[in-house]
Amino acid sequence: MIRARQIRSALDWGRLAPLRLQARTVAAGVYAGMHRSRRRGTGVEFGGHRSYVRGDDLRWLDHRAFLRHGRLLVREFETETDRSLRLVVDATGSMGYRSDSAPGAKLAFAAVVAAALARIALASGDPVGLDWIGGERRRPLPAMAGREAFERLLLALEAVLPGGDLTADHHAIARAINPIARHARRGSVVVFLSDLVDLPEDAGQRFAALATEGRTVVVVRVLDPAEATFPFSGPVRLRSSEGARVVETDASTVRGAYLEALEQCAQRWQDRLLPRGGALVRATSDADPIEIVRAVLAAARGLRP
Amino acid sequence: MTFLVSAALAVALLIAMPVAAHLLRRGRAREREFPPAALVPPAPPVARRRSRLEDRALLAIRSLLVVALAALGAGPLVRCSRPSLARDAGASVALAIVLDDSASMRLAPPGEEERWERAVGGARALLRSAREGDAVAIVLAGRPARLALAATTDLGAARATLDALSVSDRATDLVNAVKIARSALADLPHGDRRVLVLSDLAGEELPAGSPPPWVPLRELTRPAANCGVVRADRRGSRVTAEVACNERSAAAGRRLELVVAETPPRAVAASSATPARPAEGTVVGSAPITEQAGPQSVVVELLPLLGELDARLSGSDASRHDDVAAVVPELGVTTVAVLADPSSASASTGGPPIVEQALRALESGAIVKPLTIMPDDAASLAGWSALLLDDPAGMGPEAREALGQWLKLGGVALALLGPSAGRAELGASLEPFVAGSPRWSEAAAPGIDPSTATALGPEASGLASLAPRGRVPLTGLCPSGARVLARWTDQVPFLCERDVGRGLVMTASLPASPRVSDFALRPAFLALLAHAVDEAARRHGPRVTTAGTPWLFPGDDVVRITPSAGEPVTVAPERDPTHGTSRGVYAPAERGRYRVVRGEDAETRIVILTAEEVTQRPRNPAQEGTPAPGAGVTGRVDVSREAALAVLLLFVAEVVVRLGSRGQHREVGSAAR
Repeated sequence: MIRARQIRSALDWGRLAPLRLQARTVAAGVYAGMHRSRRRGTGVEFGGHRSYVRGDDLRWLDHRAFLRHGRLLVREFETETDRSLRLVVDATGSMGYRSDSAPGAKLAFAAVVAAALARIALASGDPVGLDWIGGERRRPLPAMAGREAFERLLLALEAVLPGGDLTADHHAIARAINPIARHARRGSVVVFLSDLVDLPEDAGQRFAALATEGRTVVVVRVLDPAEATFPFSGPVRLRSSEGARVVETDASTVRGAYLEALEQCAQRWQDRLLPRGGALVRATSDADPIEIVRAVLAAARGLRP
Repeated sequence: MTFLVSAALAVALLIAMPVAAHLLRRGRAREREFPPAALVPPAPPVARRRSRLEDRALLAIRSLLVVALAALGAGPLVRCSRPSLARDAGASVALAIVLDDSASMRLAPPGEEERWERAVGGARALLRSAREGDAVAIVLAGRPARLALAATTDLGAARATLDALSVSDRATDLVNAVKIARSALADLPHGDRRVLVLSDLAGEELPAGSPPPWVPLRELTRPAANCGVVRADRRGSRVTAEVACNERSAAAGRRLELVVAETPPRAVAASSATPARPAEGTVVGSAPITEQAGPQSVVVELLPLLGELDARLSGSDASRHDDVAAVVPELGVTTVAVLADPSSASASTGGPPIVEQALRALESGAIVKPLTIMPDDAASLAGWSALLLDDPAGMGPEAREALGQWLKLGGVALALLGPSAGRAELGASLEPFVAGSPRWSEAAAPGIDPSTATALGPEASGLASLAPRGRVPLTGLCPSGARVLARWTDQVPFLCERDVGRGLVMTASLPASPRVSDFALRPAFLALLAHAVDEAARRHGPRVTTAGTPWLFPGDDVVRITPSAGEPVTVAPERDPTHGTSRGVYAPAERGRYRVVRGEDAETRIVILTAEEVTQRPRNPAQEGTPAPGAGVTGRVDVSREAALAVLLLFVAEVVVRLGSRGQHREVGSAAR
């Protein structure tokens, strides 16, 4: 028997369903080349020479090059590394919002992007983990690789329901970040998909702190088209999805002020992420997921989205 | 109310439309989910301000607009509570407003204003509806009814007259007031004449006639429970008060209290044996009043005190004004003047005349003053309380005039007619004792019928056999209005009395001389003298008049009158061209004590209520005359002009509110940005 609460909080997939097909389609549209480690040192594949400096291991000194050129050169080797992808998906109540002009809820869009990123990563042999902020019936997944990992991730993404109120749960961010900080290895990419609405003030600082020890943090802000454009007019009463805030206002009058506040919010996240090598990707749920995934991958490579 | 009027007023139900529009407008701002609502600027939202300020003001304005339009549509037939003049074909109206300023108009029904204030308010409302060309007269219905403003087309003068009027303690004289009102309109050229009565109708029925009186303010006749002290008289160590109530409930649990009014008059010297006088306001005695409607007498015993007292009712009722009355003090010394011929009216054993001896035998404390001749000026009579004439021979015109004035001021005169009555000189008569020429004749009856002499008490039985040698038959001689107190056995009047002003005239048909009859030897003779002395003590005391009764001050003296509450009044004498004499006239309208100083003489006069002003209940105005069709004053008010003005003002108010709210919108928008 389906409970009323489940019906009320069920995720509105809209045109973004089915997730499996959408994820494959998106992943297929993205160049999925195998990436190589930038780490040089011990390895099996020659990576070039560099000048010797004091302290280098004399085992890698290239004698032949010294005899041929009269300079002390050290041989370097490239190695394939374990570059895991840690997905953090915001499944709080606000992510279940879908306006009339959106193809689906924000959480559905985030799930498509997350699944596509996971498919790309798994195809490269990288392990993929999944953590949640908020949400009901959520199932966190440890980093794992292989075909089975993609299936388990799809099941977890399809099973979650939007719910939870971060304004009342101040430890939700810590519960999602702490496992990543402990287990994500050097070189891991952390992708946080959220609308950044109703998050605690220190949430940006906490995520930016993950971008240490060789980890890369990419935050994908997913907004509904209505949230991005504020298409209302005249007197409106707006109720937030989390908390009990109700605002009665004249939409025509305050549209500019709202958009400005929304941009300032995004700018704060970006200001915190950039110094740590992170990036913020802005997306709306009516955008092409392929472009968003490309932007995420570019940001993960260190390119500005 | 016609169907059209009802339909027009039903338009007022459309007042629900702005309310519904307001609710619908507010309903458009229904609540919707919007996750980043926290990012919406916290500036005061225009929608909320609109619903609380602008819309409510507009709602009120538009609602009033609908009501005003409904009234405009229903006009001019809307009925209002205020009276106004309805006129036929716009013709001018001659209006006589009869305002009842009697004491009963002081009553205030529970939760309402005083009847007088309501009546004056109604009169003002009528004047507001009067137009140029209308004639207005104002008549006051307090006794005596009088014309306050002769018919005039100067409406400003009518309003000024209304502002100057005040309620009084007079009795009600609606009948004469309506007559005066009709006469005030009689000579006016207006074809439409109306008499409007603003009264509680506590009095006689309104007289029929043309134009018929109309009572528009029926609320003036609403009952109001009230008790009042009509009069209080002091006799020795007791005070007898007349208390009147119009309802039994008004007397429940109330007492009559005697309180010290003010310092004792200087005319009365306090002796060393007199106990110390309590301070003003001290209650020196009290007695409960009976819980009943109508008049009742309440007797209160008190210690011998000097000074003036007030009788006061405890508790409260519809009027506190009549709950206090000045106590009429008793006369200090009664002086009786006796005019008798010692040669014929004395006993054969000698001594003073029998009348004088009999007065002293009464031991009434009265001072007996023998006279030799009848005074012919009022000043000589002024110091006496009673005058006894034994076998008078007649009085000249001057003496009769002086006697008449003295009687009106409270004197008591007793004439014992004898053989001299038939020997009056030319020009002399015995008026006002008898009307006509008396004659002495043989007695046809042996004595007095005791059954007809109950006024003399049980002593009258001794008059059955007087063995008179003659008598003055009073048949046809007792003046009109006289009361016959005793009759001979042949039913010829023996003793009659008549009120003259405040005084009393008594006439007996036998003299005191024992040579004529045994009348002076009977106990009934003493009873007759005692009756005369008592009446003198009562009537020649402080003058007690009802409110509105005019005081006449003959002579050229300027009279200064100081009421107990109010400013002193100076009454200047006026010349009467008809009689060639001068006199001053003053009509006190308020109850209470009045200090009257006339030359070197000073006296205290007391003005009282009439009991009817307290006991009489308002009559049903529906039983009074109704105005002729189309000629009366109705409660219909043409509100078309006011309604149209209201519509215009409301429209302007809406424009102003809209302009103001538009400016506020711009300010809020810029603040939000």
